[in-house]
Amino acid sequence: MGPRSADAWARVLAALRASPAAFVARAGAEALAAELLSELRSERLSEPTKVSLLAAILEFPTQLWPDPTAAEAAVSALLDTLALLPPRPAALRRPLLLAATSVLASCGALAPASAATSRLLCVLLRAAAGRAAGPEQRAVRATACECLRELESCHPGLLAGQLGLLRALQDTLGTQAHCLLFVLTLRDALGALARAGPGAPAGLHGLPDSPGAQWPGPWDWSLAGEDVRDPAAPVGREGGRPEPSAGPLDLTPPEARELRAAVSQLLDASYLLTPPAQAQMLQQLSQVLRTVRGQPPALLKPQLVRLLGTARVSLLHAVLASKDAFGEALFTAQDEALLLRRLVGAAQHPALPSPARLFCLHCLLHFPENWPLGPAGEEGTPVLLTPSLATGLLPSLLQDPPDLLARLHLLCLLCGEELGADGRRDCQGTEDQVLLYLQGLLASLRQGAAQPGAPRSSVTLCFRASYLATRCLASHPGALAQLTKGLAELYQARPCLAPHFVDLLEQAGEVLAEPLGKALQQVAVAGAGGAQALQWHLQILTKVAGGQPLGPTLGFLWAALGQGGDWAWEQALLGACRALLRGTDLSGAGPRNLANLLQELARGLDDPDSRDRGRLYYSLFTHLSGSKLGSALGPTRSTPMLGSSLVEENEGFASALTVQEAQAPLQLRRVPQQAKEPPVILGLTVEASEILYSLELRFRVLGPHYEPLEAVQVPCLRPGASPKLLLLPLEPRRPYPTLLDVSVLYATPGGLTCYAQLPSLPIAFADLFLPLPPPSPEVTHPPTFQELWASCLPGGAESCMWGPWQGQALETLVTKHWEPFVMSATPPTSYRVAIRLPPSSQLLLQLEAAGEDGVRVALRTDDWAILPLAGEYLRGLGATL
Amino acid sequence: MAQRAIWLVSHEPGTPHGGTVRFSRRYPTVEKRAKTFNGSSYVPLPEDDPFCKALLFELRLLDDDKDFVESRDGCSRISKASVYGLPIGGKELWPVLALQKNGLIYVSVPLVEQTLSAHPPLISISGISQAFDLLFGLIDFFDSGPRTEADLSTKVSQLPDLLLHICPFGTLLDSNFLLDNFSNLSIYQAPKQPAWKAGTYKGKPQVAVSITEKVKSMQYDKREVADMWQVYGTITCKCDLEGVMPNVTISLNLPTNGSPLQDILVHPCVTSLDSAVLTSSSVDIMDDSAFSGPYKFPFTPPLESFHLCYYTSQVPVPPILGFYQLKEEDSQLKITVHLKLHESVKNCFEYCEAHIPFYNRGPITHLEYKVSFGQVEVLREKSLLIWIIGQKFPKSLEINLSGTVNFNTMGHQKQPVDTICIGGTTYVKLYFRIPDYTLTGCYADQHSVQVFASGKPKITT
Repeated sequence: MGPRSADAWARVLAALRASPAAFVARAGAEALAAELLSELRSERLSEPTKVSLLAAILEFPTQLWPDPTAAEAAVSALLDTLALLPPRPAALRRPLLLAATSVLASCGALAPASAATSRLLCVLLRAAAGRAAGPEQRAVRATACECLRELESCHPGLLAGQLGLLRALQDTLGTQAHCLLFVLTLRDALGALARAGPGAPAGLHGLPDSPGAQWPGPWDWSLAGEDVRDPAAPVGREGGRPEPSAGPLDLTPPEARELRAAVSQLLDASYLLTPPAQAQMLQQLSQVLRTVRGQPPALLKPQLVRLLGTARVSLLHAVLASKDAFGEALFTAQDEALLLRRLVGAAQHPALPSPARLFCLHCLLHFPENWPLGPAGEEGTPVLLTPSLATGLLPSLLQDPPDLLARLHLLCLLCGEELGADGRRDCQGTEDQVLLYLQGLLASLRQGAAQPGAPRSSVTLCFRASYLATRCLASHPGALAQLTKGLAELYQARPCLAPHFVDLLEQAGEVLAEPLGKALQQVAVAGAGGAQALQWHLQILTKVAGGQPLGPTLGFLWAALGQGGDWAWEQALLGACRALLRGTDLSGAGPRNLANLLQELARGLDDPDSRDRGRLYYSLFTHLSGSKLGSALGPTRSTPMLGSSLVEENEGFASALTVQEAQAPLQLRRVPQQAKEPPVILGLTVEASEILYSLELRFRVLGPHYEPLEAVQVPCLRPGASPKLLLLPLEPRRPYPTLLDVSVLYATPGGLTCYAQLPSLPIAFADLFLPLPPPSPEVTHPPTFQELWASCLPGGAESCMWGPWQGQALETLVTKHWEPFVMSATPPTSYRVAIRLPPSSQLLLQLEAAGEDGVRVALRTDDWAILPLAGEYLRGLGATL
Repeated sequence: MAQRAIWLVSHEPGTPHGGTVRFSRRYPTVEKRAKTFNGSSYVPLPEDDPFCKALLFELRLLDDDKDFVESRDGCSRISKASVYGLPIGGKELWPVLALQKNGLIYVSVPLVEQTLSAHPPLISISGISQAFDLLFGLIDFFDSGPRTEADLSTKVSQLPDLLLHICPFGTLLDSNFLLDNFSNLSIYQAPKQPAWKAGTYKGKPQVAVSITEKVKSMQYDKREVADMWQVYGTITCKCDLEGVMPNVTISLNLPTNGSPLQDILVHPCVTSLDSAVLTSSSVDIMDDSAFSGPYKFPFTPPLESFHLCYYTSQVPVPPILGFYQLKEEDSQLKITVHLKLHESVKNCFEYCEAHIPFYNRGPITHLEYKVSFGQVEVLREKSLLIWIIGQKFPKSLEINLSGTVNFNTMGHQKQPVDTICIGGTTYVKLYFRIPDYTLTGCYADQHSVQVFASGKPKITT
């Protein structure tokens, strides 16, 4: 493939952008990456084209270099290209720095051992510290700072060793990029020190001004974390900010003074930063102050007053974050009230864009109060937010749906509080007014949704509003009754909204579900909307009929049966029947009628599948008692995603019949067993963490070298009881080590049968060792070791090795491992060991201590195939020493 | 505090896909952090096409609105502050901040530095407000200038470069995208100069201050529903002054009977605010003790034109009082409209029109009317009457319109449908503009601008 033209590259990059994974798979990551890198140095392409190549590298490094080593090479190549640029201003310099940083940080190549890392860090530090004036140099300087900041973000603590240099740069150059870089590095360095605890190697040695120090010497990785912090922070707070268990960091007084000076200097200069940068800096400085003991947050105060008045969401957010961090230490009760009023003002300010207003409203519901009453992390109205304060935040029909819902939510929360407090008779008037207002609003929304052509958005709005309102109306039966009535009327007007009703019934909880279910059932059985509405009524009945009297529903179903329909209609009908089967009202004449209906369904439906299902229901209904029927037809939680209603609803029933795959609630442990003669016995203990019945442990030896093992039955295991001992006879065909695969089948007290796979057990070479058989009575002279030794050859094999056991070690070794197998010995220097390996091999060892250096081991076996195993085994013993 | 990705999607109703991704930018270094922070709840960013599809679906911008879809229509799935969760490959990508403006959807996915197994409150996500800043900046960028397809394409083609400067790694450095050239970007400022000020001005010093007030009013003429009217204003400044950091103070004054300014929100370049300015809020009950100025705003101006502050105010009466009656008789509607201009309001309009829409009724077939002043335009297909009142109310300050309207109830398809304006529920909407006049009486003049810089500036207000 020849070099591509600029147009060709534009097409390639567009294709890459459209679907990076597919494109890379097609073109090959390696080839494309190499081509990109080499084209950067080509003289054929113009600078803008090269910038677009770099933009692709910047954005898709992980696709181009999936492996860190390749990424490291790519960074080096990019830095080489950078070094080759002419000294005159070049548009490529900044993108090259950005691309190299992006590749290094996102491909996992940022590491102490990486040469490219230290090279890039040096280049960046040098560029960031450049003094040359001129727009191009300024831009490169700022970019280098940004790159360093990104590396520090990805690897907190990376630049901790350069704190002094960065402070000096921030002092002398004082640009936004330098300030932001210094603040982030400071925060991370303090965080790392706080995490390291009192044993930290050094305090903030770099903080005092020490211009010209340290760089670019060997990089100090001691404070650099592994990667971005592990989010072990409390729930509801953003991650990993140092709140270490060891408590805040203690600095020496001079260090603390220096830190305070640095922070106030940064805060004073913060006015010069852009608003987003100010917000970042404020948040990070709050974190700095929180990390260190005894740093007064009052330092932040002058800036907060300035920021409180601005129209910027990010600045307001930063103020709220510092309020959350310091609470009363920074915001007195009056400050809190002022902040809250500002927030209320912003949430209804017509000059702000609607999303910003909504965000302010959201902040109100999560307002970080000094003394919160409710549980943390939940939405609630702050104590200081009185209904009169919130009058400007009333919902109205003319607002956009998101505005309306957010305001309605606030109103409901306020209402809920008001209505909850029984003692407050004095505000009965306002309360009623609010309630009336809310009801009026809901009624109008229902009216909108009831329009024949109403779009789904307005229907959704109505149901969301009803859902929100239900929460606060729980303590108001009158209002709830009205809501229920209104919704029933809505259903009557538009039965096609049935899915929304089903959803509402599921989400709104018992308070609404009970009365609404009843009302909907009545509307449904009355058959509003004629034949077209039948499917919707069946959907509603499937949801609610179980809890309602049988009679009317049955009447409706009988009537519906007469109309006939397709497969889907039959299924819907059966669904409603199933709801009745699971229902509670099985008294009087109901059951007989239901049975009749089921029989009719089993006989009369068109589709054989539907008839089958009808028959199944009929048999279940006539044979099972109520509670069993309920559990047989009940839904299971395990598989909510099933598409077929048939499978789905029979899931609960089926689960009782099939074997469930489970996590093993039991543990197997090896216990040493020493058999005197074949077979080799493997000792295991079994312990259960819950009660299990009728266990069957199944063993399977992997590989062909063993006879199959029988399963072991255990009647019962209880947690806490003494472990059950199992002895497994192993019959090797060849004496090779292997793995034992173990699975278990058992019954739970709940009646389910479960199957679990247990971790495999290794059978080692040494597990097969047996002593030589005792001499039979007929043999008068049992063979001596020497005779055995000689008999091994020529059929077998011999070997010799050196064991690193010195002094007493040999004796210990023999006692520990070969005691039963020793045939003759002159302790502590000489041992002769004979081991039998079933089925028919033997291994002989002669161990002679050779002075202080070690042990000479001579081994012979009559089976050459086990020689390597024996060697490995002996070397293993040597290693454990 | 960073963004994982940014998208710009254009909504194209009627096309097969309903919209296209005009621009996207991913930040792999932030993505790497997201993977660590979110742990097992991490959801990778989708490619452009599936993302676009999921977004348009969630925002209800596709035409397949027929069926109930739980992930979109469920009653408990209420998105907060334009933050959505998009179902992507069986998992949910959250938080996706999506703002719609003029057929474009601006999207950003902020990094959440914690696990996402339960959605944390937005307030605890530090990147969320930055996402707002970023998208508002983008909206300003795309809303400026002519809104033609060519202009849009040019701007989209500038975006990669722009983001390379303003948001190279997903962390926003400035929210001002309206830049003349990159070499002189303000964020590459010279030492000790504001990062929001690109260079210095050389030339004739001048300061221009303009006050714009808007009024929103809803009059129900019902005892149980209170009428509502609200005035809000914007002060826009353009200061061309020499020097690195010239100081300017602008004081807004009110006449003796003027309505106090409230809920004052200022530009970040304002250096300090009086506590009386800060605390004056619309949530308070109005009384005579309320702070009524002068409202002082000391600041160092940026080079470009900017909104110095926004405020609201509660004027005692609405500028125009209206009365609208609609009666359905047989197949026609009888309508009566009265309008009355308040005597304190300057009777000199740039334009003044009353729009009288009719919903859910089909096109207008016949209209008979009588007006005491002005003329009436009929947009039959849109079922809309426009009563053009013109530059002045008559001496009496009161005008009337009465008439009967007939509709073709059969031709219902293309006519405006509204779920609120059903039956007798309807409205008249007034559009007007009065130049050189503020309802609050708020003003700034030559004396209210103090400049601490070399040279004597020309001041326009």
